[in-house]
Amino acid sequence: MADSEVDTRQREILVRVRDLTKRFDDLLVLDNISFNVYRHEFLCIVGPTGCGKTTFLNSLTRLYDITSGEILLDNEPVDLRKHNISYVFQEASAMPWLTVEDNIRFGLKIRKFSKDVADARVEDVIKLVNLQKFRNYYPAQLSIGMLQRVVIARAFATNPTLLLMDEPYGQLDIELRYMLEDELIAIWEKTRATVVFITHNIEEAVYLGQRILVLTNKPATIKREIVNDLPRPRNIADHKFVELRETVTQLIKWW
Amino acid sequence: MKKDFFSKYTVISIISVTLFFVIWYVLTAKMMIVPAYVMPDPLKVFGALLRKFTVKTPDGATLGSHIAASLQVALMGFGFGTGLGVPLGILMAWYKTVDRVARPIFDFLRPIPPIAWIPVMILWLGIGTEARAAVIFMSAFIPNVINSYTGIQQTSQVHIWVGRTFGASDFELLTRVAIPSALPNIFTGMRLSLGTSWVSLVSAEMLASTRGLGYMIQIGRQFSRTDLVLAGMIAIGILGGLLAVILEKVENRIVKGRQGYGK
Amino acid sequence: MGNKTVNLIGKNSMRIVLTLLPIIGFLILWQLAAMFTSIGNLMPGPIQVIESLFISFAKPLGPHTIQMHALYSLKRVMVGYGSAVVTGIIFGVSLGLSKMFRALFRPLFELIRPIPTVAWIPISILWFGVDEMSKYFIVFYGAFANVALSVYMGIQRVDPVLVGAAKMLGCSERQLTFKVVLPSCIPYIFSGMQVALSAGIMSVVVAEMINSYEGIGWNIHAGQQTANMTQVLTGMVALAIFGLLMAAILRQVERRMCAWNTRNT
Repeated sequence: MADSEVDTRQREILVRVRDLTKRFDDLLVLDNISFNVYRHEFLCIVGPTGCGKTTFLNSLTRLYDITSGEILLDNEPVDLRKHNISYVFQEASAMPWLTVEDNIRFGLKIRKFSKDVADARVEDVIKLVNLQKFRNYYPAQLSIGMLQRVVIARAFATNPTLLLMDEPYGQLDIELRYMLEDELIAIWEKTRATVVFITHNIEEAVYLGQRILVLTNKPATIKREIVNDLPRPRNIADHKFVELRETVTQLIKWW
Repeated sequence: MKKDFFSKYTVISIISVTLFFVIWYVLTAKMMIVPAYVMPDPLKVFGALLRKFTVKTPDGATLGSHIAASLQVALMGFGFGTGLGVPLGILMAWYKTVDRVARPIFDFLRPIPPIAWIPVMILWLGIGTEARAAVIFMSAFIPNVINSYTGIQQTSQVHIWVGRTFGASDFELLTRVAIPSALPNIFTGMRLSLGTSWVSLVSAEMLASTRGLGYMIQIGRQFSRTDLVLAGMIAIGILGGLLAVILEKVENRIVKGRQGYGK
Repeated sequence: MGNKTVNLIGKNSMRIVLTLLPIIGFLILWQLAAMFTSIGNLMPGPIQVIESLFISFAKPLGPHTIQMHALYSLKRVMVGYGSAVVTGIIFGVSLGLSKMFRALFRPLFELIRPIPTVAWIPISILWFGVDEMSKYFIVFYGAFANVALSVYMGIQRVDPVLVGAAKMLGCSERQLTFKVVLPSCIPYIFSGMQVALSAGIMSVVVAEMINSYEGIGWNIHAGQQTANMTQVLTGMVALAIFGLLMAAILRQVERRMCAWNTRNT
């Protein structure tokens, strides 16, 4: 299914980030970052390891307090209670005391979905990640790959307006990663969520993203914004893909 | 790899236990190397244990009523100690204000060993069930507070963040994330409390009681009824073990699925 | 650089003061309550207790001064504890290293273990009379199981990676035991010894309460018998100090022997 690239100016803005600055004591991590996130898009953010990508996501979700600047979702300050946001963390974050099914249900319960709606969504999502057979298993019995799928299922179950993902596939082997990336695109296309995906893996960013934001090292700012309108399914061997990848790599190498 | 149940070592274990009783019997009943008031033979002890279910001498009650008395006080003290200790530990770990108020009192009480409470409670409450229950309460209370506190403290940051990004309130974070995550620690606290409670119970009964298993072995000693003393010791061991097993079963049901527990 | 060190010292003393402050506050509250409310009928304030403690260094409580009582308790603990540590280590090591030994003695050990130490007090009196021996036995029993079990667990929990590495270097069975397994279970031994120490002290105190004419436990018990709360509290303070001192000494010994292992005490 090919993307239809709409003129950026006509697209709806979901998240507005203006002059975002984050400082830890004397360490300036994020320096005046400004950009938009458009509705339904798949946005990738890349940068060297340790440049502040995780800090950026945490600031976005108000897990960290920002030093200055403003982050608006639908033109209001981000409020986790009101706004339907999901976050897939880098570390394993499935609750060890809940089964796969109950883990997926976790967000639905907190966001107070009714039982019927919640049940239906759990069913939908558990099929999307192919874990029906494991619904009554506990995290201690599952592999890391399966655990990440549980967490992704949990994130999508609430039908989030905005889905943030922080290097979710960083710990997995290549084959598993390719499979999960395809799974993720399929779910994204089906649910039309807005995804902000952070990675330090350039190939992954080019494979997944419609737009790629390249960050500099600390203090991080946006080096460049790259539009990626390669048709899907993308071929990593395609020369246009490789070209794009090289461009991004060069941007990260010299800052 | 399925291990043969009757492996060479299991057989040896069975033999060694049997041999122990046989040697005990032979040395006492047949060879009589020590007088009966020092060490009676195992059959006598076993007989005394069984007979005590009906015989009231020399302490004025049957084994059954002693067991009931001990259990009653132990469970009451343990129940209150856990029922108050666990929530307090949780609240102290979650709410700073609770911590600030409760901490100094708690830090002061904590190093006091449970048995030290026996004389204090006797002077305050007299020799009776209340004093003993109060002592057991103190023995159970402290470990429960400490372990529940640690359990909540150790809640993983990532799990809290998951809750927060889904929009959970502070209270929801406590009930849906912190407490379930702390359950293994809470049960460890309960296990420790049960152990110390049982020991404190026996001590308290030996010092300040007219009923219960501790009292029974004290009186047994006063009348040089070593068979009764041993029978009482065995009853104490079995009862304590039984309570521990019951707690373990409850724990396995509630804390299922996690690392180290079965499904 | 110098600025940073000063900051650290400042922070540390701040922390110590902050921890002590609430306790001191509590003590003040206690003293005031004892002086001005009916709580004073239940128990004396901390000043009186401390006063009584110091007095007992000169004026005897019962047959002895408080130091003498402490020394009696100490003697009992040392004899019982010392022998328990030695035999406990030997027993635990044998349990850990020899399958045969384990098969022979573990079941008996597990059978007897559920019986709490204090339950052995009456029978120890029947066996050894009101002598010192009965107290030694109780301390011994209270400490033995803890030491033996910790040692046993320590041997079982030897890091398999270490064993693997040693074997790869060509260790024989014997070298493996003495140079890898035994040294690596020393932290477990010491943690077992700490627990055993407090268990031993508690057991002897109970034994002294029941059946003795001197010692810290007797002291507390006598206070209760004569409805002398001050004596009871003084005894408890003495007990607390006694216990803390012993634990601290043990920790120092451990620090000497296990410099390579940082364990949270």
